[in-house]
Parts: sequence; structure tokens; C-alpha cells
Amino acid sequence: MNANVMNSTVIEMALYKDSEFPVRADLEAAHQAQFDRFGQPGTWGSGAQRIAVIAAARQACIDAGVIEASEDVGATSDVDLPKVVRDVIATVAVSPKDVDLNFYGAAIGGGLTDAEYTEIVGLVSFICNLDVFARGIGVTPRKLPEPQPGEPSRLRPPEAVQEHAFVPTIPNPPEGGGRAKAMYGSFKPYIMRAMSLVPDEFADHIALERAQYLPLEKIMEFEFDYHDGLTRPQVEVVAGRVSALNDCFY
Amino acid sequence: MRPDQDIGVPHGDLLLAFAETIIGNDRMALDTARTALADALGVEAISGASAVAGNFTKNDRVANALGIPVDPPVLKGTEELREQLGLNGYASAQNTFRHM
Repeated sequence: MNANVMNSTVIEMALYKDSEFPVRADLEAAHQAQFDRFGQPGTWGSGAQRIAVIAAARQACIDAGVIEASEDVGATSDVDLPKVVRDVIATVAVSPKDVDLNFYGAAIGGGLTDAEYTEIVGLVSFICNLDVFARGIGVTPRKLPEPQPGEPSRLRPPEAVQEHAFVPTIPNPPEGGGRAKAMYGSFKPYIMRAMSLVPDEFADHIALERAQYLPLEKIMEFEFDYHDGLTRPQVEVVAGRVSALNDCFY
Repeated sequence: MRPDQDIGVPHGDLLLAFAETIIGNDRMALDTARTALADALGVEAISGASAVAGNFTKNDRVANALGIPVDPPVLKGTEELREQLGLNGYASAQNTFRHM
């Protein structure tokens, strides 16, 4: 392969090539990997179901006026989502401050399992994240990938137990056993463990966290600057303001 | 929030404006905030600020929708701050307080 072909391949693969603002290569790669993951069979949802969830979340944000519609949305799904799923998607996408224990109970009472609920919350949270990022750098929401064939793995980690979240979670070591040690290393706060009932979504959550906020091992190093042009205190201003606007106590 | 107050972080006012508009519904205000931030901190700061805003958009949804409590060590160290900022009044605070 000559250099020109290689260069054109690289350019074609660049997710944010149309932005006038530079994007770190590892950040762009993490986002591309997440878009690819959306279309693949998950733990409880097929590729088509996952794309349907993501498309519905995006549409809810467009309807609320917090994301601009794009002419080319990419793949669509003909999956007809049940009402209970549509209700979860709409609320988590647009009004996460309104989710409480009663809301969760209604979702479970409506037929979702705790693990299905967790995977849906993950998908909605991830696409909101990626669409907010795109909006921030001045580009349209990225195209959704084609759903891939295959069956969900339906693997539920036996180590997950009811701790203090709505959904079961895998405890920190040593209670969480070898799986906890492999997933967490040492102690991890709840925000990192929240999706451990669905380990594949947990892994995606951590990968995005690492690319977009900080490598986790650097969190307590307050002099460590990770983002070009921003100091750690400046990063925390953005983080804190977004969380306050979302009424997030955590 | 009091926009006239200096938060003690360089260009904190511009970062606050960007954080508010990136998740808001006024696209023109976002465009204005983005331009001001790029002028002050450089174009390379925009993707970083967007990444952080997106990341916490994700984390807030994960935290609220999965009902996680604040970890005890953090809770102990933030009593005064939570009171000052009115965080204890958030609906999602119940995910922590119902275990106390």
C-alpha cells in the first residue's frame, strides 16, 4: 500500500474529520469503537434492538431541542420497542433527574429485567454522551452503524449482588471475588461499578471514561492535565456545571 | 448560579457558559460560547471541554438511572460543600440518604 492510499484510508476512517477543532486520536478511536459496538449483539439485546434503543434516545433528544437533527442518520432499525422500553429511553435521555426508585420499579414491573434495564441505560447514556461531544465540536450527530447479526450472550455474572444501587452490582474485592479483581483492580467507586451487572457495558463505560475524562489511575493527581488547552481545575468546572444542571447528587 | 461571581479558575466564566449551552437548547448561544472559549484558550481546548461535558452527561445518567449512592468516604468529606451548594435537595440525593 502506498502512502497516498494509506493516508486516504486514515482520512476516511476519521470520525470527526469534518470538525474544525482538533480531536485527540485516542479519543476519536474510542468513539469509533463505541459506535461500532452499538451495532453488535450485546448481552441482552440484539444488534437491531440496540440500534433501535439508540435511535430512540437520539430522537428524544432531537424532540427536546438539545440535539440537532441530521440529514444522514445512518442505519435504522425496524424493531418495535415495547412501551416500557420507550419510557425508560425517553426519561433517561432527556430528564435523568426524574428517575427514582419508583421509576425503576415501574420499569421492572413493566417486564424488563434488571440486567436489560442496565444495558438500556448504558446505551442511552453513551449515545447522549457522543452526541453532546459532536455538538460541542460543531458537527452533526454521527451516523449509526448497521446492526450486526448474532445472538446476545445473555451472560449474567453470578458475583453480582444487591448492594445499594437500584440494580445488582459486583462488589469491590475481596467480596466480588476474582471477577471483581479482574474488572476493577483495586477499590472502585460506585460510578465505575454501576454497570457491572452487564460487564460488556461496564467495559465500554470505563473506556469512554478513560478517553474523555482521565485515565482512572490519575484521578487523585490534581496537577495532572490530560486535555490539551485545559487545566484540571478547568476540567472540573465543566464537569461540575454539567452535573449540577442534571441534578446529579453523585 | 451567580454569573458575576469570580470562581477563581482562569476563564471559568467562559467554561461555565460552554457547559451550560452544550447541553442546552439554544444552538446560537452554544456557538457564541464555543467561539469565546476557543479565542481564550485555543481551538485545541474545545474537544477537551466537549469530551468532559459529554462524559458527565453519561455519568449523570448512569448514576441517576441506576440509583447509585455516593461512596461513604466522599460523603464524609463533602458535608459542608453539599449544604452550601444545595445538593442535598436534589431528588437523586435520596439514592444516598435512603441507606443512612
